[in-house]
Amino acid sequence: MSAMQGAFDPSELQGNILRGYRRAAVRYAVFEVVKPVAARRWLGRSASGGDAEVPAVTPERSWSVRPDYCFNVGLTFAGLRALGLGAAMLAQFPGEFAAGMVRRAVKLGDVGTSAPECWPAPFDQPARVHLVAAIYADDGAHLDAVQRLLEQGDAAQGLRLMGIRNGGNFDGDFVHFGYRDNISQPRFAEIAEHADLGEPIAPLGMALLGHSTGLEGVSWRVPQPSVLGHNGCFNAFRILAQDVAGFEGYLDQTAEQLLADPRGAVLLPPGDEGRIGAGLTRRAALREVVAAALCGRWRNGVPLALSPETPNPEPAVSLTAFDYTDDRRCPVGAHIRRSNPRGAKIVQRVASHTRRLIRRGMPYGPRFDPDRPDHVERGLLGNFIGASLGAQFEAVMYDWVNLGLQDPRITGSNDPILGVNDPATSWFDLPLRDGKPIRLAGLPRFVTTRGGAYLFLPSLPALKFLASLSPV
Amino acid sequence: MSIRSASAALRLVRLRGAEAMSGSVGWLERVVDRLPDSPVFQFLARHVLVPFWAWRTPVAVAEGGPVMTIAPGDNVQRMMNLVMKLKDPSPIGRAKAALAIAQNVDEIYAGLNNVGTVHFARFVLVGDHLCMFSVYDGDFTNYIRDFIATIGSVFDAVVALIDGGDAVIPTEQNVEAFIDWVHARDLYQVPDLATDLLNQQRDGSATETDIRRLPRALILQLQANPNVSLGSGYRAYPGFSAAQLRHRLEVGW
Ligand code: HEM
Repeated sequence: MSAMQGAFDPSELQGNILRGYRRAAVRYAVFEVVKPVAARRWLGRSASGGDAEVPAVTPERSWSVRPDYCFNVGLTFAGLRALGLGAAMLAQFPGEFAAGMVRRAVKLGDVGTSAPECWPAPFDQPARVHLVAAIYADDGAHLDAVQRLLEQGDAAQGLRLMGIRNGGNFDGDFVHFGYRDNISQPRFAEIAEHADLGEPIAPLGMALLGHSTGLEGVSWRVPQPSVLGHNGCFNAFRILAQDVAGFEGYLDQTAEQLLADPRGAVLLPPGDEGRIGAGLTRRAALREVVAAALCGRWRNGVPLALSPETPNPEPAVSLTAFDYTDDRRCPVGAHIRRSNPRGAKIVQRVASHTRRLIRRGMPYGPRFDPDRPDHVERGLLGNFIGASLGAQFEAVMYDWVNLGLQDPRITGSNDPILGVNDPATSWFDLPLRDGKPIRLAGLPRFVTTRGGAYLFLPSLPALKFLASLSPV
Repeated sequence: MSIRSASAALRLVRLRGAEAMSGSVGWLERVVDRLPDSPVFQFLARHVLVPFWAWRTPVAVAEGGPVMTIAPGDNVQRMMNLVMKLKDPSPIGRAKAALAIAQNVDEIYAGLNNVGTVHFARFVLVGDHLCMFSVYDGDFTNYIRDFIATIGSVFDAVVALIDGGDAVIPTEQNVEAFIDWVHARDLYQVPDLATDLLNQQRDGSATETDIRRLPRALILQLQANPNVSLGSGYRAYPGFSAAQLRHRLEVGW
């Protein structure tokens, strides 16, 4: 183990890890390090509180007054090398991070139209994706102002801007496909506001290097010197395009199928449409029942695990404090149960509660208007954060999202929302109260990967350490 | 030996006759094509030609374990073939290995149960090597990682007996290094189909016993990498996960 660490000081972390900023807009700027000396100088200024020319890296803290913008940085393995980190230090980073997202494509399901060969610039040149800066604000003017800073002085000298991606909320916490997002996250004892949310508290080592992990006795390697690795974490940054027309079309098609199937009446007894929503037609109500089953939450966020019959339970239920102890309420294959089975029985018993992900995301692209269908790209700018990409993000993507290994009843099927589905072979079981489920077939792939990178999110002291590397 | 060289000589005679009739391909070319069967050539090939060839055309030891795929049926019942060199290959050292396994049988069963994705696992002593062969579902790193979390101490006891093992114990504190270490000892799985092996060098004119029919990439790989798995293993029925089988057989998963 590394040298003794002092008490945990959250203000040494970048601010977008243990909690979200909840701003309305985000801009990711992707850079190549072209002059390491200038790039390091810039990074050092940014990590040390910034100045008139350099935006400050935002640390973890509780705000009394929200700043105009927040600013954070992540580095790829190639980026750490380009900054001048030596081979011996680089060698201590985990293999999947060193390989980078592109070389893990098959494992992540990035095949076919999601394959890295199809990714647009700058992600078509992964070797030059070195640093991803994220600017968060409530309006475009602030994003522009920070971007201008990134195009002058040391930044302009040391870094080449390869591309940007803009995201923004269009309907509060609702995202494309019409679900409410940003509800559940791992909670940490070290963050005061997390105490009373009724969700299990996650060990700090689930998020950060250098702390106990959820796997008993197991610790991840902390790249040395300790200042470099300690309190750092990894982020799978993903640009995920969503086919909203395809998704809504699939709900239409399935509703038609259920209208014709006598078991549709078991799923939703005729006359009960009102409990799904006031004034809904039977077809519209069935669409919502299917949408809820695919996700594990009604579109308004209410979890099926607590309210399988209606999105508007009375009294209201918690959105976060639930489990899958009553196995039949939420489909085993539903997106949120697949990607976090919580306390449900799973095949990999020892891995229960250990593959958790911190999710920080924002939609991109305009809201889809079903009356004026278009082909504009829209989706999610997602960040899936944890102390180990292999044990968390990749384990979830490969074993759970795309193979369904955690429960024999879904093994061989993919996540209905996110998975690499092929309509010829895909299936999803809708549980019925009286036994045998209704098997839905023909799910296409609704989410396509359009870019991304594995990033290391260093602590502030680690950023300063990187800035202080001797010239190469 | 003598029978084989006699038959090679005979074939040479026949070849000359054939050449006289066809007239299109020189007898020397034909001799070269059939050379691999001759003992002199085999000796030269093994000790001179292939080493020289390998030196001219260096290849990296191919990555071990099953190939990555997204087909669900190929992601269950995957083979791990670990071949690990014993520190002490004497009968005493090998007896120690036997004891290390036997002393931990209960833990091994507990591990299989908690990890949930393993079908079979066995340990075999082959010469100076301790081998661990297993059939597991899903991702290799998850399998190893979950095993470390469950019975890391058993791994420690076994790995302590292996050449180079000290660097990765205790495994619980060296998870990444241990996974890489195991991966490096998991045998390369030669492609299942001859067509996959040969597709880089299709040569329609090659005949049955012709060296042109042997996959060159494989020869070079085998020069660099003596132990390989021939294919990814064969199943007598379509792939199912261990939990699917247990579920269907109603023995609990
Ligand atoms: C465009 C793609 C995606 C969409 C539309 C989507 C949608 C959603 C929605 C609506 C929720 C419920 C809101 C909440 O619990 O906060 C959710 C939760 C979740 N998603 Fe996704 N998601 C996407 C991609 C991913 C990816 C790539 C992963 C990771 C492998 C993932 C893992 C999770 C997890 C872990 C939860 C929380 C489950 C829980 O805490 O019980 N999602 N997602």
